[in-house]
Amino acid sequence: MTMKVDPDMSFIKYLKSAGGDTLKNCYQCATCSVVCPLSKDGSPFPRKEMILAQWGMKDKLIGDVNTMLCHNCGDCNTYCPRGAKPGEVLGAIRAYAYTHYGFPQGLAKLASDGKNLPILIGIPAAIVLVLWLISGGMHMPEGPVDFGNFFGHWDFHWLTKTTFFIDIIFLPAAAFSLFAAYKGVSAMWNKMSESLEISSDFSPSAKQFTLEFLWPAIKETVQHKRFNECGTNVDRVKGHLPLLLAFIGLLLVTGYSFVRKDFLGLIYPNLHGPIPLYDPFKLLANISAVALLVGVAILWANRKKMEADGKAAPTFYDWFLIWEIAAVGITGLGAELLRWADFGVLAYLAYYLHLVSIFMLFFYMPYTKFAHMVYRTFAMAFEKYRESSFVQKESS
Amino acid sequence: MDKKYSAYLCTGCGIGDAVDMEALSGVVSSEMNMECKTHQALCSADGRTLIDADINDSGINTVVIGACSPRVMQDEFDFGDDKITIRANLREQVAWSNPADADKEYVQEQASDYMRMGCTQAQKSELPDPFQLEEGTNKKILVMGGGVAGLTAANEAAAAGYEVTLVEKSDILGGKAVNWRQSFPTKAPWTDMETPIVNDLIQAVQDSDKITVKTATEVARTSGAPGNYNVTYKQAGTKSEWDAPAKVGVDEQDAIDKGTMEDPNAGLKHYMDDNPEGEKFGAVIMATGWTPADVSEYEHLGVASQNVVTNAEFEKMAGQGKIVRPSDGKPVESVAFVQSPGGAEHDKDFPYCNSVTSLVALKQAKYVREDNPNGKAYILYQHMRTPGSMELFYKAAQNDDGIFLTKANVMKVEEGADGSLSVEAEDTLLNENLSLNVDMVVLAAGMVPTTKDANVVNLAYRQGPSLIDLDLFDGYADSHFICFPYETRRTGVYACGGVRKATTVDETIDDATGAALKAIQCFESADRGVSVHPRSGDKTYPEFFMQRCTQCKRCTEECPFGAIDDDEKGTPLPNPTRCRRCGTCMGACPERIIGFKDYNVDMIGSMVKAIEVPDDDEDKLRFVVFVCENDAYPAIDMAAMRRLGISNLVRIIPVRCLGSVNMVWIKDAMSAGMDGAMLLGCQYGDDYQCHFVKGSELADKRMVNIAETMGSLGLEVERVAVTQVAINEYHKIPEIINEFVEEIVEMGPNPFKGF
Ligand code: SF4
Ligand code: SF4
Ligand code: SF4
Ligand code: SF4
Repeated sequence: MTMKVDPDMSFIKYLKSAGGDTLKNCYQCATCSVVCPLSKDGSPFPRKEMILAQWGMKDKLIGDVNTMLCHNCGDCNTYCPRGAKPGEVLGAIRAYAYTHYGFPQGLAKLASDGKNLPILIGIPAAIVLVLWLISGGMHMPEGPVDFGNFFGHWDFHWLTKTTFFIDIIFLPAAAFSLFAAYKGVSAMWNKMSESLEISSDFSPSAKQFTLEFLWPAIKETVQHKRFNECGTNVDRVKGHLPLLLAFIGLLLVTGYSFVRKDFLGLIYPNLHGPIPLYDPFKLLANISAVALLVGVAILWANRKKMEADGKAAPTFYDWFLIWEIAAVGITGLGAELLRWADFGVLAYLAYYLHLVSIFMLFFYMPYTKFAHMVYRTFAMAFEKYRESSFVQKESS
Repeated sequence: MDKKYSAYLCTGCGIGDAVDMEALSGVVSSEMNMECKTHQALCSADGRTLIDADINDSGINTVVIGACSPRVMQDEFDFGDDKITIRANLREQVAWSNPADADKEYVQEQASDYMRMGCTQAQKSELPDPFQLEEGTNKKILVMGGGVAGLTAANEAAAAGYEVTLVEKSDILGGKAVNWRQSFPTKAPWTDMETPIVNDLIQAVQDSDKITVKTATEVARTSGAPGNYNVTYKQAGTKSEWDAPAKVGVDEQDAIDKGTMEDPNAGLKHYMDDNPEGEKFGAVIMATGWTPADVSEYEHLGVASQNVVTNAEFEKMAGQGKIVRPSDGKPVESVAFVQSPGGAEHDKDFPYCNSVTSLVALKQAKYVREDNPNGKAYILYQHMRTPGSMELFYKAAQNDDGIFLTKANVMKVEEGADGSLSVEAEDTLLNENLSLNVDMVVLAAGMVPTTKDANVVNLAYRQGPSLIDLDLFDGYADSHFICFPYETRRTGVYACGGVRKATTVDETIDDATGAALKAIQCFESADRGVSVHPRSGDKTYPEFFMQRCTQCKRCTEECPFGAIDDDEKGTPLPNPTRCRRCGTCMGACPERIIGFKDYNVDMIGSMVKAIEVPDDDEDKLRFVVFVCENDAYPAIDMAAMRRLGISNLVRIIPVRCLGSVNMVWIKDAMSAGMDGAMLLGCQYGDDYQCHFVKGSELADKRMVNIAETMGSLGLEVERVAVTQVAINEYHKIPEIINEFVEEIVEMGPNPFKGF
């Protein structure tokens, strides 16, 4: 196959600014390909990706499965004799790809630049604030602090006012974010498929796809199998795993809470109150919250150390996610503590910030580093797909 | 000189254990009639005092030292220029070459022979009488070529206090470098290109009151010899009756005389004619540089297009300002630098590229970027060579966003309708074939030395006007790049810069400085009457006993350095300041009339005859090995140091070069009843190691002849052999010598033994 060369110089510039500043150092020795667990015979990854990046071959890279699969173990960074830090370069390519696939583009671009941070915080802050105002709940309720009364109280006993407002904020936001992620991931999938040159005649059914490709990918992710094989950044798993488990825990709690309040609550109104402490789900929620805080603290420290050691450049892309998660954890914990301490105003304010930060985390998910959650999982699914008989049949 | 002899034996270093010293001393005093003293460590202060006392008190002036190898303890056994000192190598060649259980009798005979030979050598040696040019030594330097190399050489020679004349063919000084936009970094951090230094060099030359510049001038001929060259100039591009004549061999001269061949030198002055108008010089520096290689044969690279240029052409364009496309003047945005011809011969580079073309591509890629912020420079290479600190320059270029590097095999360059070029490349680091669209393609043409197709030096020598055998060096003015940089096959002519190697400016400056020093060394040595290279400081020189010369011309033909001219009759006219003292002429002369004061046919012949050959003992065969002192002799010493063991039937005689071995010595050895003779010297041929270039090769040819003669006398031809060995192959020495001995032992003794 002949490749038309038309280097995209702005792509090179972007990569250099987004943590890949060392990209041009690579002199193609392929040491990285020897150490990288993803590299296979005949596919010198990430050596080839390095020269593609040097040559500004944007199109080739954003559809490169391996680039998406790289879990930034850092082994290549350690062994590269030229300090080209391929792992960091790939990170920058991924950051570029998330923005590139991001839907809608305007929002994706907005979320990719630290300069926009005030707007990024401003949007959810305003939405929650406006709804808080509209709800009329913005006054000091009677009695002990109860976030169940954050958006005020009504007597419609099937659904509390707060739950209703939370729903109207987060349900559309979540739906939007999921849709955006779906759009992004399918764009990526199409791009990746291009390189395989296969027709759609052999596409798997939705069920096949889920069972054979997606589910194993999810399983592998949760087990953190590849992470444990890391040499250089093996410490990272100490932060990443608690964080991942925390998110799963909180997801379960949220699901439980949603079912309990929005469905069961319709039948048993007494379920509307705060979940009692002894409830196993409440326990899970608290453990998850602690895990989240511990996890993000470890990642924060790791990142700082890497930067101090010159192993990584500080980028908005990396820090935004850490800040977001830290904000969720800290505001959540703060609100809880202030509630127990019964510092009314402060507790509600903290809760407000908590809602804002959660909104940010999920609303911007498809465009931030958080997006790796979906892109990587689907890239793994793609890898399994690529190795499956659907593709093999076609190319043989 | 009235010689007063005394011999000294050392019993140290294991010699006393291996040899009965009293008996050996007896051999010296009774057979050789020399007083002989023994000491346990002759090289010690005490030993030295013993000898000094004899020199001072008894007027001893010829000393024979039977101790270690002449290659060691040279200061300890230096008794001054007015003494003759001969060393017999009892330590390495006797004590250290025999195993502990060797037959004492054999060892004793071996040691005795070495002392006999040493004493004979002392008897036949004379003190040298250094050669002096009648006219005195001229110490002016002629520099040919006004580029960076020539300018530097001139400046350096002037800075050392010598007068220089710099001759440049074109109208201006500076050579190719005056057209350059920039040159490579020469200092830390090795990333920034520099303003070419050439204008500073020109200024310095012009400011110097020691340097005379002649532009638009060429050298018609250079006659004479180091310390006394006579140079005739002519206007560049013209013909002159003083142009150096072509070589006319004996057969050609015959043909010319018979009228069957046209005289190539018709209208030219004879090579021996002396131009009274000529200018005298002491030495010549050849800095005539290079020309860009012709790459027009590479049709697949689109050479027909105007927009495909060589790196030299591109540099010129860059020097003139912003680079524009030749076909339409469009400012150039993208350029592909094609470093190798690609296509079928994909691993090759363009001829004469060396590492310079890699660096030039990096430099010119930078120009593309300088001229246009969106400029793109693609470097498609098979080999990227960035030696030394230039690696940092490479890194800096690589770091530029708009410079794209890959190993690639360029298959095709094609011009499109709008003048732009498409470049197709295979086997790239991107793991895919590439197709580039560029404004221009630059081909990395190499630097062809000017000596490749022209005589350049224009010497009026018997052996012709040019440096010879340059085809062995792809036309570069070289004679042995690794061992003898700057040396050409003509003493007194030193090459530097592009004519010697494709070099960068920085390397050229080093090179030219070295050549200037060599030139100075040359005529200063001539002034002191000593040889300059490689036998630096040798005061002897070949002397001819002309009365017996038969004008056979062998010496004139065979001298590897063209040192011998001749007159109309063919009588040799030696030029000792051109001579390197190899003795090849001495080996060649059938009349045996060429010799040195301390090294001649009679001396070595007498040493051969001094070896005692038992004619009644089937076991005690005798072998003589003539060993070149440059590589083979030290190799034998090293083998001895490692106690590798050499047959004690062998007697070793060092020679200056195998070329100096006169075949009469072989005849002497065989008629003395010796059983075999071997020559051990350096490699010859395309990858020669021979320090005198041709000596080893000539010896081989001569030995073939002698073997034939022996054969016709009924002697086995295997009894004479020539073998090549390098200095680092000392481990092969026992194998080479002992196998030769064993083969002949099997064959049996020399049938003429005792006659
Ligand atoms: S990134 Fe480093 S290790 Fe990998 S090929 Fe380039 S120089 Fe070698
Ligand atoms: S960071 Fe790890 S997974 Fe990513 S390319 Fe480097 S070695 Fe491979
Ligand atoms: S053959 Fe050797 S010794 Fe004889 S003249 Fe030539 S250089 Fe001198
Ligand atoms: S080789 Fe001897 S005989 Fe022949 S020309 Fe030379 S000096 Fe004369």
